[in-house]
Amino acid sequence: MDDRVLGGVCGGLASRLRVGTRTLRILAVLSVVVGGIGIVAYMVLWIAVPTADECSSIGGRVVGDRRQLQVVLAFSTAVLAVLLVLQALGLNGFGIPAWTVLSGAVGALVVWRGASPAELVRLREAVNAAPVIGSTPDKGWRLFATRALIGAFLIIFGIAELSRAGSFSGAAFAVLIGAVAFVGGFLVLFAPWWARTLRDLSTERRERVRAEERADMASHVHDSVLQSLLLIQKSAGDPAEVTRLARIQERELRHWLFNPAMLGRRADQPATFAVAMADIEREVEDTYGVGIELILVGDCPMDGPTTALVGACREASVNAAKWSGCTEVTVFAEVEHDAVSVFVRDLGQGFEPSQVPEDRKGIASSMVDRMARHGGRVTVSSAPGTGCEVALVLPRHHGDR
Amino acid sequence: MTVADRLRVFVVDDHALIRSGIRVELGNEVEVVGEADEVAAAIEMILERRPDVVLLDVHMPGGGGRAVLEAVTVLAPDIAFLALSVSDAAEDVIDVIRSGARGYVTKNISGTDLLDAIYRIADGDAVFSPRLAGFVLDAFADPTGQRMPVPPFDPELDQLTPRERDVLRLIARGYAYKEIARELGISVKTVESHVSAVLRKLQLANRYQLSNWAAERRIQ
Repeated sequence: MDDRVLGGVCGGLASRLRVGTRTLRILAVLSVVVGGIGIVAYMVLWIAVPTADECSSIGGRVVGDRRQLQVVLAFSTAVLAVLLVLQALGLNGFGIPAWTVLSGAVGALVVWRGASPAELVRLREAVNAAPVIGSTPDKGWRLFATRALIGAFLIIFGIAELSRAGSFSGAAFAVLIGAVAFVGGFLVLFAPWWARTLRDLSTERRERVRAEERADMASHVHDSVLQSLLLIQKSAGDPAEVTRLARIQERELRHWLFNPAMLGRRADQPATFAVAMADIEREVEDTYGVGIELILVGDCPMDGPTTALVGACREASVNAAKWSGCTEVTVFAEVEHDAVSVFVRDLGQGFEPSQVPEDRKGIASSMVDRMARHGGRVTVSSAPGTGCEVALVLPRHHGDR
Repeated sequence: MTVADRLRVFVVDDHALIRSGIRVELGNEVEVVGEADEVAAAIEMILERRPDVVLLDVHMPGGGGRAVLEAVTVLAPDIAFLALSVSDAAEDVIDVIRSGARGYVTKNISGTDLLDAIYRIADGDAVFSPRLAGFVLDAFADPTGQRMPVPPFDPELDQLTPRERDVLRLIARGYAYKEIARELGISVKTVESHVSAVLRKLQLANRYQLSNWAAERRIQ
């Protein structure tokens, strides 16, 4: 049933009575303008009659849910209070239209609270498309002007109506006092209930937010943690693989818990030195099953020289992971005003720097060359049995920027 | 060392697995006089048993390690605390140090390193893991650099001396105290006194500057 403007009442009625939908719509609009009975009738039909594809009506759903019923009843009593006050003030000009408009408002609330999710989505679209009352995030002067105009009109209208009933010092004064007492009575009777209903509503919203967060967390735990645990169980016979899996999971979880902002910004923002270093940590840990303890002090944007430095650091970390024979490599990187320095250290078997095989010397010299092109320097200090430390220092130039 | 003068150690951690793991790592070198899995019980038992060193988990329900620290140090200032955590969150780490812990190590520390740290703490020294050293270097950024968030409030407390900075850098690079002493040509005792001085600065420095730094790190 897509033949609907608001609640689909006219469309439904037309197909039932076998008359033209357009005729019925025109009649409905006329009945709203003339006396406003149309609003009440439309609301009653909307609430009481289920749509073709649903088995329960909106009214049925609201009555069936205690909380929704409470909200609607609280609102109804408030509306009743307003109506009775208007009556007491003797503003006959309001009369029937006020009753219909306000009971229409109650009906709208019932629809809002009881509508099915699909219907809610459509209603929200309809409201957002409406030019004046819509909750569009349009915060321009136009919206403000519209609101100011409507507000001013209502205030002036109210004052005019009041002075029509008599001057403030005269008859209207007694009426006003009566009205205030009346409102007071209503407040004493119903205010606690109204307050509780409002509180329930905000609790409901909070609960929904929390439930969403929980669902988010649960899906993450499922996606990554449970999967990893499964993989770990499967490869229980292979200690190296278990360590590797556990390490990947640990790093991911840490990242997620302590550095949530990093996750979101990686795609669209330029990588910084810290991000590039974290990438090395991840890559070397995953590829070689060796733990990298990465300690970063400061950060700076990436440029040509820093890229070379990160590349050399990757080289040094891979070497340590491959050759040192130990399971933990410490990488300390510090960004200072006039230099960036990186130290890659392992406590493995070490070697005699002057007697390294040709292939390793090649890697070392590629590290050295790469750094030298940007004015940096590499120092390798090691001796058999004492581990190894590679120091990479890159000067920073601020003048040419 | 006879059984009688072994160090008395108390373990506070809300995970039974971690507690038993720590017991295994410590072996018979020290005497574990008790363990607790929540804040209130920990405070009560520590005050009753008076251990030399408390190994304290940073993250626990009911106020965390900080609540234990604050309650115990008022009544028994001679009990030394070593924070033990898996947390990478800078503000958590700085928080327990500022509440009075004399050191911070991560839970993947080896048994011998942990024992070493316990002895050091019991001797009144400070123990910095590479990560904590990194945090401190970051928090007390180089005053000649651009990253100084606010001008120092009290230069004596809010800045590190170049020598302290050197020591922290070497700790962050993974050097043991003995190696640091050799590298800088000073005695191990001097290294220890530098680290203790940094700890003091960390605990007393301008709160505004440090919390500012922690908040900045969180945003990153």
